[in-house]
Amino acid sequence: MQEWINEFVDTFKLNFIEKERWKLIVEGFGNTLKITFFAVLIGIAIGVVIALIRSTYDNNKEDYKRKGGIGYVVMSILNGICNIYLTVIRGTPVTVQLLIMYFVICASSRDGLMIAIMCFGINSGAYVAEIFRGGIMSIDKGQFEAGRSLGFNYIQTMVYIIIPQMFKVVLPTLCNEFIVLLKETSIAGYVGIRDLTKAGDLIRGQTFSAYMPLIAVALIYLILVMILTWLLGKLERRLRKSER
Amino acid sequence: MNADTLLKVENLKKYYGGETVKALDDVSAEIKRGEAVVVIGPSGSGKSTFLRCLNLLEMPTDGHIYFNGVDIMDKNVNINIHRQKMGMVFQHFNLFPHMTVMGNMTLGPIKLLKMSKAEAEASAMKLLERVGLADRANEYPSKLSGGQKQRVAIVRALCMNPEVMLFDEPTSALDPEMVGEVLDVMKELANEGMTMVVVTHEMGFAREVASRVVFMDRGKIMEQGTPAEIFENPQSERLKTFLAKVL
Repeated sequence: MQEWINEFVDTFKLNFIEKERWKLIVEGFGNTLKITFFAVLIGIAIGVVIALIRSTYDNNKEDYKRKGGIGYVVMSILNGICNIYLTVIRGTPVTVQLLIMYFVICASSRDGLMIAIMCFGINSGAYVAEIFRGGIMSIDKGQFEAGRSLGFNYIQTMVYIIIPQMFKVVLPTLCNEFIVLLKETSIAGYVGIRDLTKAGDLIRGQTFSAYMPLIAVALIYLILVMILTWLLGKLERRLRKSER
Repeated sequence: MNADTLLKVENLKKYYGGETVKALDDVSAEIKRGEAVVVIGPSGSGKSTFLRCLNLLEMPTDGHIYFNGVDIMDKNVNINIHRQKMGMVFQHFNLFPHMTVMGNMTLGPIKLLKMSKAEAEASAMKLLERVGLADRANEYPSKLSGGQKQRVAIVRALCMNPEVMLFDEPTSALDPEMVGEVLDVMKELANEGMTMVVVTHEMGFAREVASRVVFMDRGKIMEQGTPAEIFENPQSERLKTFLAKVL
């Protein structure tokens, strides 16, 4: 037993203390958090806009056709663009998207972090949009009608009545999407970004001891996800108060 | 058009699936200020569709609806402005579950009528007192009984100072013992001279409160008149069969 503990301590020292290798982990952890945080913001922004465009188009198709004119044309084009975006993003692997973003679209830039944030944000936006749209569709039609009958226009009804209720419905799914996103950022190393996973891998390459750095990285992800789950659970309970 | 006429419906048609289903088949009607019109008829007769067409929640296939002399079917008319003056009460209440009773009632006045919060809350409170729910102002709708929800829904519509109130089977989703409290509020409204169009199965209410009863069947208005004319002296066969079933 003593022997095992000594060996453990030695390996720990080798991997994290010597040459201040723990700094790699800290740096990687920071980058992973940065990418995830800003990608979540971009994802929500894109998701809200696309969900609004798509459900507005679906709900008011007849109305637009009846009134005709420029409104119908604009909405049809916007809806078409959204559909293409959703199809392409959801139809291709995120790793490929990241590589294309880095080597093709942003080939002149070497700001890997920025590119990763954009890529993961744009990717997440497609899934968040569908989550939001599902949430909007799950709200009872009577809520739309009550809002409209008071004299609110479509957008006002959405903003004051539908979207606040939608957030409550989609929160668990949304939370799940962000946990997936956090873990998906582990491929950022593909384009030379030192995220948490890459940091663990770098240490492994230097010390030739695999299990310690990789298990440590896995534990950090696990703890992060557990904290996120706990926080979102708390938020969910608070939002549910009005329904009790 | 007569100055007393608030709503005038001309040749209103609502078809589904081309012309296979005629929910409204060339309906014309006039509703005067201060009238309490009760629409009765078997289910599927088009009475709810008729009511929902009046504020364009349901878009008619063809026809004209004049509200205060303006054809709201005209595609250049901003329907939202006119809907502010047409209160609506639904079968399933449709209160906003994420807001308190007070929030439900003041949302429209604050956002649409640009009232101050204090002003909106003061007038909402007066209305709540009238329907005996002042003590529930800060509750969420989920804490209320069906009858209470519907009374809140009625005063929520009244907060907008409507010129006409549309009721779409307001008591159909209620437990029997709660029907009375809602009907009482509606009765009081009618007595105060509010213009009302009520779709209901409550024949007692129609008989007692209506200034005019309209009988609809298969998308058409078959017969209309005072409650006495309709209930004591029905003319058409269909109305006689209908009354025999429900009375």
